[in-house]
Amino acid sequence: MKKLIPFLILCLVSDLIFSQDARALIAAVNKKFRQVRNYQAEVVIRTEIPFIKMLPVSATLYYKEPDKLRIKSKGIAILPKQGFNDLLQALGDTISYSALFQGEEVLKNIHVAIISIIPVSDTSDMILGKFWIDPQQNLVMRSQITTRTNGTILSEYLYGKLAAFALPDSMTVTVDTKKFKIPKAVAADINNYNSNAKDPAKQSKKGKIILGFSNYQVNKGVPDEIFKDK
Amino acid sequence: MLLKLTWLEIQKIAIRPRSYIGFVAITLVIFLIQLAMWIDGTSYIGFVTQNIEQTFLFEGKILNGNLICFIILQTLIIQIPLLIALVTGDLISGEAATGTIRLLLTRPVNRTTILLSKYIAGSVYTLLMLVWLGILALFVSLLVFGPGDLIVLKTDEVIILQSADVMWRFLTALALAFLALSLVGALSLMLSCFTENSIGPIIITMAIIILFTIVGTMEVPLFDRVKPFLFTTHMIVWRNLFEDPLPMEQIRMSVYALVGHIVVFLGISIVYFKKKDILS
Repeated sequence: MKKLIPFLILCLVSDLIFSQDARALIAAVNKKFRQVRNYQAEVVIRTEIPFIKMLPVSATLYYKEPDKLRIKSKGIAILPKQGFNDLLQALGDTISYSALFQGEEVLKNIHVAIISIIPVSDTSDMILGKFWIDPQQNLVMRSQITTRTNGTILSEYLYGKLAAFALPDSMTVTVDTKKFKIPKAVAADINNYNSNAKDPAKQSKKGKIILGFSNYQVNKGVPDEIFKDK
Repeated sequence: MLLKLTWLEIQKIAIRPRSYIGFVAITLVIFLIQLAMWIDGTSYIGFVTQNIEQTFLFEGKILNGNLICFIILQTLIIQIPLLIALVTGDLISGEAATGTIRLLLTRPVNRTTILLSKYIAGSVYTLLMLVWLGILALFVSLLVFGPGDLIVLKTDEVIILQSADVMWRFLTALALAFLALSLVGALSLMLSCFTENSIGPIIITMAIIILFTIVGTMEVPLFDRVKPFLFTTHMIVWRNLFEDPLPMEQIRMSVYALVGHIVVFLGISIVYFKKKDILS
């Protein structure tokens, strides 16, 4: 018993230290995010979802702190319901989760720290968040958010010129897709004798949306009207 | 002579009140769809896209003139052949019923020319109906709802076509619809040769189209083998134009099937009509 008590104390202390490390890293990432009060950027959205066929779409992305985000496109664009702007919200609200340092990994030749966050509330939609953070630049390189409603959403970020503002050049969001099937009467897809529903590509349960950003205009002001017109 | 006879047949079609039923019906249906979409289009779109919107968000104008036109074309796909048969189904039998066929055949024109002139006149009627449909469904919808990317819903996939890539597809689709409806004209004309009352061929044409469409719609493995051989399957070849990439082989096969059916139906009509005893 005498030997066990120091061991338990050691575990508790180390857990506290790692937790503090995780919190410190998240704080550094948040500090970097907060440099950006607003921005707009051109974005090319490429969709690789098994049951959706469409060409890449060009759009303009607008952001204004704390959480206003709007994409405007001339054509129809498809975006993931979650995983696109969750990163700011998930990491920004520091009192609603516990953070844990889970180790290190090499990701695209960069040493990253893996931080997991677990929501304090058991009614939260997010079940678990996992972040691969570059501790040198305080940049999130990858995030994996598991939610009750949309399964697991994996986002990967590539940074370029605006790494100092934590604004990526490219972002790939991988989501779990449910099987798509609508009644023939609704689709009016009558006499479709050549249906390729058994196409293996369509059976895939993962969908990807790749966003390429360019022409960032950071902290130059974005009018509120842009977010109203929906 | 063929042109002169065709012009006479067009005039005959033009003076019959029933020839205008199709135009009125199409106008009413299109107006009702446009009105419904104007008032409640957003909730209709929400209903058909709810499956996707559990995971994804749509950004952009989904409810636009191109989508309304596509919905109209889909809705009218079963009705238009029936409206065509209403006119082409009694081109021969109608005259047999009234007794004017005997008078017509006393003229120094061979029967093949007479039959072909009736078929061409029926095709002109079909073309006019499609032009009317195109004006109302496409151009009026674009005027009212504006242009935009077209979202094509299939039972197992969604295709989004860019606005600039849509107009040629609609125009080609109308051309293919003309070919499909010409087949209905040929079928009803053939049936019209066999009977001497005007209502019979119209009803039989409608019954065949409805029966084949039901067989084509039901997802029963037994019917799956039959579907490629039903002409109604190929009549919706226009829908293939809204796929990406275009299923060229399937389009080609359907065009061959439609042309083949027209040739066979017309061939049977000519052979039978040439030997037919005119007793009325």
